[in-house]
Amino acid sequence: MKMRKLLALLLAAVMVCATLAACGGDSTPSTSKPAESQSEKATEKPTEKESEKATDAPSSEEAQPSSEEAQPSSEEGPVTDLPREETVYFGGLQWGVVATWNPIGVTQNNFAISAVASGSRTIMFETLYMYNFMDGSLQPLLADGDPEWSDDMSTMTVKIKEAAKWSDGTPVTATDVAKTLEVSKAIGNGTATTYGAYIDDIEVVDEKTAVFHLALNEEGVPKNPLLVKDYLVGVYVCQAAWMDKVCERNNNDASAILQDKAEDVVWSGPYTRLYDNDQKVVLVRDDNYWGQDESMWGTLPAPKYLAHALYADNAATEVAFKAGQIDVNQQFIGNVQKMWLDEKLPISTYYDDEPYGVCLGMPTGWFNMNIPVIAENVALRKAIAIAVDYPAIIENAMTNQSPSFEDVPRSLMNPTAGEQALYDHDAVKDLQWAGNDIEGAKKLLDEAGIVDSDNDGWREYKGEKITLKAVCPNGWSDWQAAMEIVASAGKEIGVEITTLYPNADMYIPDIQDPDQKDYEIFMWSPATAAPSSPWARVMGFMSKDYVGVKNNGSGNWGQYVNDEADALLKKIPTITDEKELKDAYTRLTEIYLTDVPSFSLMYRPAFFDAVNETVWTNYPSADDGRNIPPANCVSGYGIRALFELELAD
Amino acid sequence: MKSTLKQLLHSPKFMTGLITFLVVLILVIVYPFIVPGDPLERIGVGTFAKPGIYFSLYDSVTTQRETLKLSNADEKRMAAAVDEEDKAAMKELIKKTETAYDGDLDDTVFLIEVWEENYDAMMQTKMKSADKKYYQRIQKRLEALKSADNMLVYDEDSEDSKTTITKTDYVRTGAVANVKVLPLGTENFGRDMLKELLAAAGTSLKIGLLAGIVATLLGLFFGLLSGYLGGWVDEVIMFITTMFTVIPGFVLLILISYSLGQEARGPMIIAVVIGLTSWTWTARSVRSQVISLRNRDHVNLSKISGHSLARIILTDILPYIASYVVMAFILQVSSGILAEAQLSLLGLGPKTTTTPTLGLMMNWAMNYSAHTNGSWWAYFPVIFIIAAITFSLNQMNTGMDQVFNPALRD
Repeated sequence: MKMRKLLALLLAAVMVCATLAACGGDSTPSTSKPAESQSEKATEKPTEKESEKATDAPSSEEAQPSSEEAQPSSEEGPVTDLPREETVYFGGLQWGVVATWNPIGVTQNNFAISAVASGSRTIMFETLYMYNFMDGSLQPLLADGDPEWSDDMSTMTVKIKEAAKWSDGTPVTATDVAKTLEVSKAIGNGTATTYGAYIDDIEVVDEKTAVFHLALNEEGVPKNPLLVKDYLVGVYVCQAAWMDKVCERNNNDASAILQDKAEDVVWSGPYTRLYDNDQKVVLVRDDNYWGQDESMWGTLPAPKYLAHALYADNAATEVAFKAGQIDVNQQFIGNVQKMWLDEKLPISTYYDDEPYGVCLGMPTGWFNMNIPVIAENVALRKAIAIAVDYPAIIENAMTNQSPSFEDVPRSLMNPTAGEQALYDHDAVKDLQWAGNDIEGAKKLLDEAGIVDSDNDGWREYKGEKITLKAVCPNGWSDWQAAMEIVASAGKEIGVEITTLYPNADMYIPDIQDPDQKDYEIFMWSPATAAPSSPWARVMGFMSKDYVGVKNNGSGNWGQYVNDEADALLKKIPTITDEKELKDAYTRLTEIYLTDVPSFSLMYRPAFFDAVNETVWTNYPSADDGRNIPPANCVSGYGIRALFELELAD
Repeated sequence: MKSTLKQLLHSPKFMTGLITFLVVLILVIVYPFIVPGDPLERIGVGTFAKPGIYFSLYDSVTTQRETLKLSNADEKRMAAAVDEEDKAAMKELIKKTETAYDGDLDDTVFLIEVWEENYDAMMQTKMKSADKKYYQRIQKRLEALKSADNMLVYDEDSEDSKTTITKTDYVRTGAVANVKVLPLGTENFGRDMLKELLAAAGTSLKIGLLAGIVATLLGLFFGLLSGYLGGWVDEVIMFITTMFTVIPGFVLLILISYSLGQEARGPMIIAVVIGLTSWTWTARSVRSQVISLRNRDHVNLSKISGHSLARIILTDILPYIASYVVMAFILQVSSGILAEAQLSLLGLGPKTTTTPTLGLMMNWAMNYSAHTNGSWWAYFPVIFIIAAITFSLNQMNTGMDQVFNPALRD
């Protein structure tokens, strides 16, 4: 008995080691286990979130397991043994079993389907244009040439490429473009909620010409031409005939259409479903793809198969990536440079030096204006914001995969050159801060009369000790590290800040509730980059439109109200004069840095993009002069990389 | 009693266990006096500084210098810039690009000469981006090697106060004002790993001890009651323990910790929870021992003499199972420590970053991928110390078993 107990304990000791080893070495794909994988996946999740939030599309983080048997569609049986030199393997783009292949349905975590303004994945379904976040340009895909705007910007004409064809051989027409919006509005999918209010309808002029009629406001000015640009890169064009079929078989029932499995879907992209099960999702090249026409790519993409194994968590993905089982990996890897510097693996990122990726996002700490002490005291908000040790956050939590606030002074803009040029740096110079200003923070608080009157080491406001919570989801380790650093800044300036890490499934509904008073300071990311940037992000920081909105997925979670900022934000989408635009953004930056409704903690890539060149090479790299964004070879204009990949020797 | 102790001290197993345990305990107690300060203080800004001796570069500029002319200094500098692997890669590239050369590439100086001459041309060839970046890094380091013999250091505020540093300048480590020894480097938050590790071991020992006490007291109480009284009391208690046996204890532990919420999960609460879920096996074994004892003559004699229940249990039964209880306690302590480590590893341990515990350290090391990026010092010492503590406790237990258990006695 005792011996057995002893043995059991020794076994347990061995298991502690084994657990650790297994978490590193377990490359067996399995369906996602929420409880365990949460902490692992965490670091990657915010990015996913950001892109999803960008379009405000309804999304389910975890896929519902599909009830149908996942049988390969190919007649000869499953090609489970994919030839390595014809397959590109991906990581970090899909967690859990594929639910549907329905491009007009509820957004789900299908590796092939992700319709977001920051760069839709166009491997199976295609958008009119592709977004290139490196230069902010829209590259025609199904569309032919640039969109043509009417002078008052109330209509926009898009031509469709002559060569563009569906997988069944029929041409892609303006009717398909118009029908996509029509059906979306009828069933109320993500496209409708994001863009429905800004586009009245799409008119079919002829087979290859579609005219977008923008919704006008009371003054007869288009409500938002910027979001219409997002539509061009964010929304998949679907075949009218197929949508008719889906509507018919579901008796036009909106919720049934949204949930339709779409086994018979017609696509226009270069790849289509080969098979998917609880192990992996495999797409096979459509060798009849229209895009091999000279008017588009002029060739087929290099890999015959695109495969995504379903890994349990980030750690498993990382191990598979290092072993060369994954070619393209979308996951935050702390100290990623060790993979090539120390381990000498054939792994690289877009930039060879820090920050390694293209930072487009700005994870931000939001002040909750529902809390009187925060709402009433700009000094308190600013004091906390300037006292935080940002270099520590960037060096530790982000392991330097973010430029510092000295390199890119804080504003409403992300670090890309295009956005940085949109405001007058000198005008707001005195308002910016790089952090660690403990003395300045103390002075601000003293001047505002927020002092420690009872000598307990903590400051009081109206006789009451200020106690704040800094909150972010549990297991999102880099965010947690950031919140810890915010809390220690509070300690330095005599404001008690404690950290709290609820589970993400509790946290997200909480911060989306406009009346919540549980979290004084909490972390979330505004929009990253899209054709509507930076306007969409600034909206997220300051717009009154989002105040009081229930289940608010769009922005201004701190419920900040500033009428001047709001008026400017309403005007920006219709401003065409460059100087006027710059003035508007400069003024907004001024307001933002003066009022401090929130404070960005770091810059962060929209896509983490690391590649292993064991099998494939010629991935986008900063110095190759090709202007292909590092978007995992599937998102936006990043898909171009797939056509230029080469086999490594 | 004395002879039992003597026997114990002669048991090699018990002694190895005891000594290992004491070494850990002494380290835990003494180290904070040697290196004082908050174990959770973040001294490093980055993640995972390697173990070693760090001295302030800033201070060393103004420290008293000696000139040492070491013959192999340049060689070492070269070796630090390009190691054997780099040289092999350079040679390979030269051969692959069919670059013409006249000499022996094994001669490092010649190799570098050929490399630098042909670098631009060689880089024009098609190669993997990872390789290209690798060669670029080699080139960058080679460029740095060619820098002048002297370096100038300026005060940011006044350019007059310049200091010249030459290749032959050396400072004694002891003379530099700020030198920090990090025997185990820093962990993910930039804290002194060894200091935190020993503080965490202390917390874990406390958790184990409390969990052990709770579990043993509960187990003892119910075991004695159930074994001695029998009847329906026995039935009820056995029903409960059977239930606990059927439900895996660890699952129960996870569920309870999860439902407690992070706010309530202090280290001591975790310890109590661990104790509450692990008392049943002690209860069962105590019960079976008591059953065999309760019909012995001396117990019956006490009963006839009219002694109270408490007195019979305390004086006639407990002393006979005392040695067993002590051993059970030791095992409970060790399993308590393991349970905390396992819980924290899953992120269900005590609240983060206010108290260091061994499990939390592993949890954070894993969150920061220490195990995949080669930062062994951030997790291996933790495993080692957990193993050392549980191993020592188990060794002590086995040693005691051999002394106390007549069946095992030599």
